[in-house]
Amino acid sequence: MSQLNVVSGGLYTTVQDRGRPGHYRIGMPPSGAMDQYSCAVANLLVGNPDDAAVLEATYIGPRLEFTDRRLVAVTGADAPVTLNDEPVEAWQTFAVGPGDVLAFAMIRGGARVYIAIGGGVSVPRYLGSRSTYTLTGIGGHQGRKLADGDTLPLGAAGDGPPAGSAVPEDLRLRFDSGIELRTVIGLCSYRLTEATLQSFLDTPWKVTKDADRVGYRLRGGKLDFIEREQPFGAGSDPANVVDLGYPIGSIQVPGGDEPIVLLNDAVTGGGYATIGTIISVDRDRIAQAKTGDQVSFTSVDLDTALAARARRRDRIERVRGALRS
Amino acid sequence: MTTIKAQMPGVFYRRPSPEADPYVEEGGTISEGQTIALIEVMKTFNEIKAEQGGTISKFLIADGDEVDIGQDIAELGSV
Amino acid sequence: MSTAIQLPPARYEYGGDEFVFVELDQAMSLEANFKGMAITKALRELDMEGVVDICPSNASYMIRLDPDRLDPRELVAELERLEHSVGELPSDYVLPTRIVDVPILFDDPWTRETLMRFRDNHQDPSGTDLEYAARINGYDGVQAIIDAMSGAPYIVTMLGFVPGLPFCYQLVPRDRQIEVPKYVRPRTDTPERAFGFGGAFSVVYPVRGAGGYQLFGIAPAPVFDSTQTLPDFADDIVFPRASDILRYRSIDMTEFERLRGEVEAGTFRYRIREVEFQPAALLADPDAVNRELLEVLYR
Repeated sequence: MSQLNVVSGGLYTTVQDRGRPGHYRIGMPPSGAMDQYSCAVANLLVGNPDDAAVLEATYIGPRLEFTDRRLVAVTGADAPVTLNDEPVEAWQTFAVGPGDVLAFAMIRGGARVYIAIGGGVSVPRYLGSRSTYTLTGIGGHQGRKLADGDTLPLGAAGDGPPAGSAVPEDLRLRFDSGIELRTVIGLCSYRLTEATLQSFLDTPWKVTKDADRVGYRLRGGKLDFIEREQPFGAGSDPANVVDLGYPIGSIQVPGGDEPIVLLNDAVTGGGYATIGTIISVDRDRIAQAKTGDQVSFTSVDLDTALAARARRRDRIERVRGALRS
Repeated sequence: MTTIKAQMPGVFYRRPSPEADPYVEEGGTISEGQTIALIEVMKTFNEIKAEQGGTISKFLIADGDEVDIGQDIAELGSV
Repeated sequence: MSTAIQLPPARYEYGGDEFVFVELDQAMSLEANFKGMAITKALRELDMEGVVDICPSNASYMIRLDPDRLDPRELVAELERLEHSVGELPSDYVLPTRIVDVPILFDDPWTRETLMRFRDNHQDPSGTDLEYAARINGYDGVQAIIDAMSGAPYIVTMLGFVPGLPFCYQLVPRDRQIEVPKYVRPRTDTPERAFGFGGAFSVVYPVRGAGGYQLFGIAPAPVFDSTQTLPDFADDIVFPRASDILRYRSIDMTEFERLRGEVEAGTFRYRIREVEFQPAALLADPDAVNRELLEVLYR
């Protein structure tokens, strides 16, 4: 039987892949791994195709029991990993056999670990993706987070890099304090004065307890909207606009004091003014910010966003190359 | 003296609901697996269970305060 | 319509590297929505490499793109070109769409129970959401505002928030639009299929969950079906499409229960008719066009 036994589901562990693009127009967000870089590297370490599904675990990792011989790799947040209570290295390929148990100790840095298993987690695809979207209960394992006692189907494993293959140090994540989120200011930023926008960029924001796959709510300052007579259909609150589409990574400020960054499982539109969008690559960064961490926003232009995207692609190719040699 | 550490960040609560009594008072004894507090994060309230029995000699975080991952929640004395 | 609305030039904004957001107007109007529909329809027909999602919205639209395959600046240049070629809406412009009969049980026991539970979150804790909406919009009681909502059809101006939620705007001049504020503090609960109203938009909630729109009634038929059991969901998990014209028909409890039975038996079908909708004709004489639309629907 090609299956994986979930001894303990951890705090919030879901099946995710690159995501489910192409359904934004009906109001369905793409879901997918929050930290796409760590997901891609984990798959490379076990020889999986780029679109294989992995497990994404937030804060407390799962306990997993294997039932056959596989390659496994752990990337993402910095958490001690053990196989049958013996330490194993993250960012490295290792082999497991029937009865082996993978477990995690407390996270030391970051928020989300990614676990790739050779052959991938082969839950049925829904609209082309295995990613879990819990709001409507679709994708992943029964559309929900993993629970103790679940069993997951695994795909047929192909060849992977030999056990012990490791990602070069400079291509692993680093967890510095103070996370910088590069942001393209715009959308409805005309609703804020220049001074307020500057204070948004100057403020160190703290991640609140309401920070999950839907979005991150932040605290630390106050932003005032420009007074105006509200346009027809917008609603009476100064934070309201005529309902519009929200880009993934966009930032809105419903009450003026708690900005929300919308992420992979977010609502796709609504009636709050958006003031900018973090660049796609930095969704990987905020995915590793945990409740209590400090984040700040830096204004960048489109060229910077595109260059950062090219650089991430290049880093993934360097990992691919390093594992092939 | 050992301490009980938070396994996740969030907001720390010593009681199951605002009107209820605390799970355990300072000086109270607890057994392994007993719930001693809640941490709220990602819209869920997660029970913090004692990994070993003993006496809670002191809580190190106030009810309703923010807690970081790995932070000491309480001092645990032997029974 | 009495006075044509002159739209400002569209505003093009980059939503990071993966999105382009285009605001056609800050205020809601049929003119802004029709312009967005025409541009997004033309873009869809171009079938451009690298365009991932085309999302017409109320008075704006948004495109998700793959910047590895399409430079966002190239996309904006194309959108600006479309704004000037098709965005002007020539008077003979025809939008092929559907008109659909959407039954609603107004003032139903389920949304009433919910709205009573969240009275402290509301502008007027003393009455129901319908009583409040009728009063602030100058209607003589609840039945009069229900008659106004079911009297003229609505057009789906945007899908979003959650999968399958249709934002709908009534096909009447601005001075006849019903407008209500959202709840002072959003509810943490809304029944599935609730018929809500916020700003100038009506919605049907696809799934149970949080919400801030005023609650007026409930639909017996779903707008979202992830299992694709009902025949109307064979091609897609959501029923409404942007530019669909929906007629909210007030029904009684007997019909509601009969239709619920059909939904549960898997036999329910929406009454749907294909129409050639002419935005310019609607703007010129909304009452005449709406009469024709309803004739086509119930013929």
